[in-house]
Amino acid sequence: MERGEKMITTVTLNPSIDREYFVENHKPENDCYVYDNKNLKVSPGGKGLMAAINLKKLGYPDVQNMGFVGGRQGLFFEKMVQEYRITTNYVYTENEIRNNIKIIGEDPVTYTQFNDYTYKVSEENVEEFIRRFKRGINDSDLILMAGSIPEGVGFDIYKRLIRECNKQDKNVFLQASGEALKQALDEKPKIVSIYFKHTHKILDKEVKTFDDYVEMGKEIISRGVDHVIIPFHSDRLLFTKDEVYCLSPLNFCLRNWLGAGDAYTAAFFDYYYKYGFEFVEANRRGAAAALSIAENNFLFLKDEGEIEQNMDRIIVKQLEGY
Amino acid sequence: MSIVRDYMMRSLNSVTVDDTIEYTIKFMCKREMGVLPVVDKENKFLGTIYGLNIFKDILPEQYGFMDANKIFHEINNAAENLGEIKNRKVKDYMHTKTETVKEKDNMNKATNVMLNNEESYLFVTNDKGYLRGFISRADLLLYLLNVSEGEDDID
Repeated sequence: MERGEKMITTVTLNPSIDREYFVENHKPENDCYVYDNKNLKVSPGGKGLMAAINLKKLGYPDVQNMGFVGGRQGLFFEKMVQEYRITTNYVYTENEIRNNIKIIGEDPVTYTQFNDYTYKVSEENVEEFIRRFKRGINDSDLILMAGSIPEGVGFDIYKRLIRECNKQDKNVFLQASGEALKQALDEKPKIVSIYFKHTHKILDKEVKTFDDYVEMGKEIISRGVDHVIIPFHSDRLLFTKDEVYCLSPLNFCLRNWLGAGDAYTAAFFDYYYKYGFEFVEANRRGAAAALSIAENNFLFLKDEGEIEQNMDRIIVKQLEGY
Repeated sequence: MSIVRDYMMRSLNSVTVDDTIEYTIKFMCKREMGVLPVVDKENKFLGTIYGLNIFKDILPEQYGFMDANKIFHEINNAAENLGEIKNRKVKDYMHTKTETVKEKDNMNKATNVMLNNEESYLFVTNDKGYLRGFISRADLLLYLLNVSEGEDDID
């Protein structure tokens, strides 16, 4: 498949405006003053969107991001997204889009986050989104759905969206967690990637040991999903119908988690569009991309070269006896 | 020389022929746009709907003229008329003869179309007719500014 032949669709139902403040010293009741632009970073956030930005960096001309945005800040958000030359397709809601605040102190090193979960969407907005989604995916053949869902959106949302994809014969890469993931499995998405946010649970089961992770990966496969990806510390466990693999980075030095998972997803797509669907190799490419972000201090990939240089450091082993 | 893709806004915000006028007005407000593209169920471009056309249908006098002595009466009349047509469909008010450009067309073509048709927005499709975005007058002016400053050229 050639780059640019199709629109790549990404879905971010609960996007945010991320504001990062870099201050010398962050203590309660201490006022901080930010005078320098480099100490304030405002960017659009959300899992599917971050992957979309990486896909643009990798040279894909048509990448669309769909989701809900709200109020005046929603317009601002959309403009920020368009700065990355991403095609926007948003349902506008009455409520303002959420803002996440991050305060990074230099001495001592502190990291404080205010995660905003106040965003609400009406039932009418959800139905409008479903209508827009049906016609929005027509020109795409692989759809990425990723991230949390805002209040007002039912846990069956991914299930409903995947059902539409199945009707139109589109493949789905779903990155989700919790109840929304659980319900989505009914529609058997092609690829499921788990992420952990507030709990370490998969399908309501607490996962602690290696065997717990493998058991749940296989459980998801047994529900009709073709391929499953589960993070396990710095590794990824990969599941197909008959095999289990462990993917590990060599000599890994963590500096920054933020954005690594999104680079992974984007590079996975990149492999798919270039070479077709080979699950393990696509993951290897994803991991090489994630390594570039995790070992550096930036959010997005710069180009393909960064991925290539890390490919030899990604080791994939098939696990025997599982 | 630049192509349309270099200057266009990549937005698929659109309405369909079966959406109502009420929905369209609310959509226009939220998006702060007085014109929206109309697409089919596959997101292929069919035409445009202008706020102006809705006005023309609800104002008792020719659009642009309101008698100051009768203005409250006329506003009331317009609001009543809008109440009557708000459930009608976009297909009754849309333009289907709207010119478009392709995303790979050069900017001269877009300039030519916009200046000749006095369009405030020129919608952009790909080769298969799928909506891809739009060029606004501000985008066009930016292109011309870049040409004047030598940052872009017309050849």
